[in-house]
Amino acid sequence: MSNFVQFLVDGLTLGSVYALVALGYSMVYGILKLLNFAHGDVYMIGAYIGYGMLTALGGATKPVISIWLVMVLMFLVAMVGCAGLGVAIERFAYRPLRNAPRIAPLISALGVSFFLEYSAQLLFGASHRQYNAFAFGGGALFFKGITWGPLHISLLRIVIICSAVLLMIALTLLVNRTQMGKAMRATSYDREAAAMMGIDVDRIIVVTFIIGSALAGAAGVMFALRADASPLMGFNAGLKGFTAAVIGGIGSIPGAMLGGILLGLFEAFTQGYLSGQWSDLFVFAILIVMMIVRPTGLLGKADIKKV
Amino acid sequence: MKSRTGLFALLVAFAALAVVAAATASPAKQARPVAASAAAVPCSSAKIALMAPLTGDAGFLGVEQLSWAKYAVAVQNKLLGLKVGLYQGDTQLDPALASTLAQKYVSDPKTMAIIGPSTSGGVVAAGPTLDAAGLVAISPSATRTSLTIGGATVGKFFYRDVPNDAIQGPSDANYMIKSLKAKKVYIIDDQETYSTGLADAAGAALKAKGVTVIRDSVSQSVTDFSSIVTKIPGDTDVVFLPWQQPPQAQTFAQQMAEQGKKAKIFGSDGTNAPGKFTFKGAYVSNFAPDITGIPADKALVAGWLKLNPGQKVGSFGPPTYGAVQIAMQAIKQACVGGKVTRAAVMAQVPKVRIKQWLLGGSWGGFTATHDPVGAKFYIFQIQGDGSYKLVG
Repeated sequence: MSNFVQFLVDGLTLGSVYALVALGYSMVYGILKLLNFAHGDVYMIGAYIGYGMLTALGGATKPVISIWLVMVLMFLVAMVGCAGLGVAIERFAYRPLRNAPRIAPLISALGVSFFLEYSAQLLFGASHRQYNAFAFGGGALFFKGITWGPLHISLLRIVIICSAVLLMIALTLLVNRTQMGKAMRATSYDREAAAMMGIDVDRIIVVTFIIGSALAGAAGVMFALRADASPLMGFNAGLKGFTAAVIGGIGSIPGAMLGGILLGLFEAFTQGYLSGQWSDLFVFAILIVMMIVRPTGLLGKADIKKV
Repeated sequence: MKSRTGLFALLVAFAALAVVAAATASPAKQARPVAASAAAVPCSSAKIALMAPLTGDAGFLGVEQLSWAKYAVAVQNKLLGLKVGLYQGDTQLDPALASTLAQKYVSDPKTMAIIGPSTSGGVVAAGPTLDAAGLVAISPSATRTSLTIGGATVGKFFYRDVPNDAIQGPSDANYMIKSLKAKKVYIIDDQETYSTGLADAAGAALKAKGVTVIRDSVSQSVTDFSSIVTKIPGDTDVVFLPWQQPPQAQTFAQQMAEQGKKAKIFGSDGTNAPGKFTFKGAYVSNFAPDITGIPADKALVAGWLKLNPGQKVGSFGPPTYGAVQIAMQAIKQACVGGKVTRAAVMAQVPKVRIKQWLLGGSWGGFTATHDPVGAKFYIFQIQGDGSYKLVG
């Protein structure tokens, strides 16, 4: 039983990261009908920005300010930096191709992805960069937390899950309760009609990239706190984020959240009860099954057109 | 509709045939490329080529090897009075690229020796091309046993200056049994040939001594090991990680500590990387001793550090220096009348002897299987400051 609960926590931690990445995929697809394959690499840049911030503030062992403040700054700066990167990608790689055949921005997205990966490799080197979060506060992030018998939920997991939930709540409120959110939904529903109703569609698209990329930046820092930053880390995360978005229903914000969490749980339980060698096989088998059985995903809606 | 179904069935049948053919094909039956020119070239224009993953997930390995290869070429050119140049080939850990690079170097008559390929997969892929061209290769890190021993060895062109996994697996297992008193060992391979082979070798040696072995496997792309850590039994004495990514071993060790698991972590030579795998108390094996502790290497290490400030001496660099040293000494010995050929270099490689070997003692040449004479593995324990202390 304790193993089951621990797998559940493992899955929620992983799923929180996947959900944040999936949100960016889903939001951009919802508005532009574009699969932004560079999104995973924005996540990678987020992890590196977090590393740069941590290093600038003295590193894990000798921070010049409180380590909690360091972490908040790491998240904030990574989110802002990635938001800026998202805007640049939209402006230079996607906007010029907005009216081109749909294959053109897709290829552009792949190009941006490789550009970011290999630029990172040139800039930061091929070696992985470790946050050394294990040294934060003498191991507090790993050793403190909730302990119940053999079950241990570390402070770091609590931070990751809570941050992801807070970001998802903030996004839900933004989309459902604000004028901007209403404009985003309208643009997603029908871009031309939204423009005719006076919505500045270009601005909405930029805001979508800002939000999606900022969430990816936060996810990059969350991931690197538990593992490390490396130039090619975005590829796998991008694939998982895309899979999560498809499972939840690409274009649907609650769907992306649900898809991410389900994917994380599925991966954790497969690793735990079967073997680590099966996890990717099952994850991508789910993607195929979902595409065949329910192409709209769990919460997606079919695009019905009057003819 | 019927014809479409028929076409589909035909395609499926072809696909099934292709799978069966791929599964049953022997690498030895691959078509061999035509050998390139083996003409003599002026000794002053001779080149050696490093084939290593300079970018990609294993880029850390190739970058370290490249820095030592450059340094070795500079030092040995001065010592031997040569003007050997160094080509840099990035295999990106992709066997297909290794094969392409091999063809490139084979086509260049000035290339007299290959340093590498760094990985066993790269050696297998580049093997037919290098062998057919008579271009000698000395790998400083490809440790798969079957490259030199067994029925399907890659060919006479291949040498290595590091011991193979048939030595590493039992060597690690013996240390676990004798020094760590292990009764239960959890082995997790990373699904790559290097890892599964080493896991098999260590597992067999452990089982032979009555140790309970639990085997698991995880893809190299996995970066969160929490669920695997969760299912490791509490009474496990050692978790053996024959992996090739030191940062992943670091993450795994931290996630073990996070869940309060007390088993000792034991990594293979692939995880041996000071500065990258720094988990206090963990063990790692390696084919080379820590050369910073060898008094005779003091000046050489200082010279490398001067060129690479702030870097740490890792485990992949020093054997690369050694491989370059052997190749350049062979070129020197093969240089007759100002000309050198690949055949002469290949003939000289096994005859090279070096009095002061960077990895300690002297270089005594290769065995009949082209493995180093008297090679052994060393065991280190990671200290609180991240340094590696030789313990076995």
